[in-house]
Amino acid sequence: MSLLLPLLLLVAITGTAIVFSRVPRRQVVAIAANGIALSLLFMAFQAPDVAFAELAAGSAVTPLLFLVVLASVRTDLTTERVERPDGEEDAAS
Amino acid sequence: MSPRLRRLLFLACCALVLPAVLHVAAHMPRFGDHSMPYGDLINAVALAERHTTNMVSAINFDYRGFDTLGEEMMLLCAVGGATVLLRGSRGETESEPQRVPGRPIIARADSTVLASRLFGAVVILFGLYVVLHAMTTPGGGFQGGAIIASGLLCVFLGEGYPGWRRVAPSELFDALEGGGAALYALCGFASLVMGLPFLQNMLPFGQKGDLFSGGLMQFENAGVGAAVTGGFVILLIEFLEETREPVPDGDEEGDDP
Amino acid sequence: MSAVLHAPPVTLLPWLVAAWLFGIGLYGIVTSRHYVHLIGCLGVVQASTYVLLLAVGYRWNATAPIFYSHPPGRAVDPVVQALVLTDIVIGVTVTALLLALVLQLHKRKGTLDPERVRPMQP
Repeated sequence: MSLLLPLLLLVAITGTAIVFSRVPRRQVVAIAANGIALSLLFMAFQAPDVAFAELAAGSAVTPLLFLVVLASVRTDLTTERVERPDGEEDAAS
Repeated sequence: MSPRLRRLLFLACCALVLPAVLHVAAHMPRFGDHSMPYGDLINAVALAERHTTNMVSAINFDYRGFDTLGEEMMLLCAVGGATVLLRGSRGETESEPQRVPGRPIIARADSTVLASRLFGAVVILFGLYVVLHAMTTPGGGFQGGAIIASGLLCVFLGEGYPGWRRVAPSELFDALEGGGAALYALCGFASLVMGLPFLQNMLPFGQKGDLFSGGLMQFENAGVGAAVTGGFVILLIEFLEETREPVPDGDEEGDDP
Repeated sequence: MSAVLHAPPVTLLPWLVAAWLFGIGLYGIVTSRHYVHLIGCLGVVQASTYVLLLAVGYRWNATAPIFYSHPPGRAVDPVVQALVLTDIVIGVTVTALLLALVLQLHKRKGTLDPERVRPMQP
């Protein structure tokens, strides 16, 4: 029960970290940390089913999807930059 | 609208809404100490009525089974939509595993490969355990499917992209995704054929606390497990394929992104 | 310890954390300069609903709603748990759908900055 207090604060802090890490590659780490914090909080809320789902989905699969998207945005840049005359630099890299 | 103006507008709205939020928070039911009639009713009767010891599964697959059918269809639609968007630009043809252009190929350390193989096998096995124990202990198709998918990720970490594509053929997981959703829907129609309401449980409930208790819920759970596993792995395959560029006569060894 | 936690400010905390996550996620969406970052912020808004629902279903000194080794008794609300459970898994696939849209946008427009994306031409 006394677990709830620090875990709620931890979830609030990691959630804030997601918003304020403006570089997407660093944000991925914050997303994974928030997933782990949330699954610990769900354990403390007596919801083991939900904690399982959050642990697998929120801290493994979602960060990987973000990483893969960032990687493909980068490879996309290397191949398409030539065709793009506007020369806008991208915030991804 | 300039970003600065937008931020100011947002903060002004927050200042406006904040008193209302605080008022609502102060008048919420007392945390951890209020009545919850629906949940208490299920906690009291579900074990006797449905012979499952996991109340969450009983709700997901029986009391709110129709709701889960809707969730199942949302899963199918979201996965289908993402797949269509990604394959639409790439072409439907099943491509050979490609490598990322302009990236050095770094050989993996033997210890990485070994650890990934060990952990991958254990995690996939644990995922199957979680799917199978839906009716007794914490677990079920939703959680287990996600765990199996993350176990397959370990294979990708250890074996690299070509090895992963050999282990996870796209067709198999397409079939799992569609077949799982179909199995769930067919469970409902099976009840209709027997002259019962949609998704009504007509199989024997079995022994309380037994692995195979719950009757029809077992099949619905298996359908959800297959659909979630298939859906997650399809998404991973499609997104990872997006990072690859076709290289003529590219060598066999790929690398992770 | 239990008496400390029963103090009113602490019992308010779950609702305030849910409201905070919602607000800060919305702030991130409003001020985001990168679509991938924006989807991450959307995940924070989503997490606020999980915290709110599970906090509504929580009960002091109660067990998880699993009656494998003990008879049914005082347990937390399983209904909200079932809701959150399905939403987490669906949320991942919807996030993936949004990310696929982002990839398409990047292919068509070559940028991921919401400020630079022009309205679509008919």
